[in-house]
Amino acid sequence: MDGIHDLGGMHGFGAVVTPGGDAPYHQRWEPRVFALQVLVGVEGLGAGPGGRATREQMDPVSYLEASYYERWLWSTEQRLLRKGTIAPGEVEAMMERLAAGEPAPTPHSDPDQAARAVAWLREVVPLQPVERARFAPGQRVRVRRMRPAGHTRCPRYARGAAGVVAHVRGADSLPDHAGPGDAPVEPVYAVAFRSEELWGQGGEPAWTVMLDLWESYLEEAG
Amino acid sequence: MTERGHDHHHPRLDSEVALRASALEALLAEKGLVAADAIDAVVELYERDVGPQNGAKVVARAWTDPAFRERLLDDGTKAIAELGFGGAEADTLVAVANTPAVHNVVVCTLCSCYPWPVLGLPPTWYKSPPYRARMVAEPRAVLREFGVELPEEVAIRVWDSSAEVRYLVVPMRPAGTDGLTEDALRALVTRDCMIGTAVPLTGAP
Repeated sequence: MDGIHDLGGMHGFGAVVTPGGDAPYHQRWEPRVFALQVLVGVEGLGAGPGGRATREQMDPVSYLEASYYERWLWSTEQRLLRKGTIAPGEVEAMMERLAAGEPAPTPHSDPDQAARAVAWLREVVPLQPVERARFAPGQRVRVRRMRPAGHTRCPRYARGAAGVVAHVRGADSLPDHAGPGDAPVEPVYAVAFRSEELWGQGGEPAWTVMLDLWESYLEEAG
Repeated sequence: MTERGHDHHHPRLDSEVALRASALEALLAEKGLVAADAIDAVVELYERDVGPQNGAKVVARAWTDPAFRERLLDDGTKAIAELGFGGAEADTLVAVANTPAVHNVVVCTLCSCYPWPVLGLPPTWYKSPPYRARMVAEPRAVLREFGVELPEEVAIRVWDSSAEVRYLVVPMRPAGTDGLTEDALRALVTRDCMIGTAVPLTGAP
């Protein structure tokens, strides 16, 4: 979807280098939320679109106000609610209990679950081999104009722009489909775009932007 | 108020988000669905075993072993597996080498894709709207903020990680490091020079 997450090229966000920006996180709950999201995935406790597609559904104001792992917390909750693993109101009720000074439930231990999570994080699942590619390295292609209502990995700033195929990366399920079951598997291409094609003539000497794009995002460029 | 990095003007209290995070963890613990030691194991994996020290090992090896460098640039996933690295968010790893003519830099404009197995979890700035918005559209201005000023004739290549391919920048080996061992070279390879927002430390004392 054409949401606020699709940030490439936008103005107005200020400096990149700011105090405190170097650390991956600043508070203890942040890596624990990261781990919770991993475990919800590994243990099949969530449902619906994955974390990435879910976070794009956050309303734009909340998305920008939230810190990174706050978005992960939100998407993890949404996925748990969709599956019915937790019921609406349960998180708020637990917040009240904890705020009232009730001790957190005694944590249980499950070494098998810990091992499953670490094994999942260490597992390598490469792209699939390409059986038939419509485009070849060196070929000029153009990114289709589109305005998809659902998840997509085709950034807005590249749409309509022409580039040159640099590599065929492998084949992968098209992420624009909700369920992996019905998603077609397509070649993914690394496409090189000249900066003038994307942004017009600018103040900086020309550069190249490389994007990895699924075949259906592309058409032949004349 | 704790350090919030780029998140100025945050309308919600940090403590409220922290409480919500604790409540979700407590709720799943109460239901017996998520074990505390499983959470600890994931947190510790990235705080202890998986971080930019892995990428530095890959780069230092590439600097000292031309055959490894060739394998790395040919198939990054296989090459890092030789050193015991790989996993989620580097299922297909592509290593891109800087040269005197080309400087590579990595971003993810749509979320914050990052090669966890070699670099760990990304710094806050990598995930922030300014970096995601600006790196594809004004790379030299962003690099200048990091103190990197490239000659005009150096071509910049910005890799926007829009699919399931993750990128590792192989920086140029600094001049004057001929006598250094692979271990000593590792110390020159910072996280940022493997993202492309820095160049390696020099070997000079």
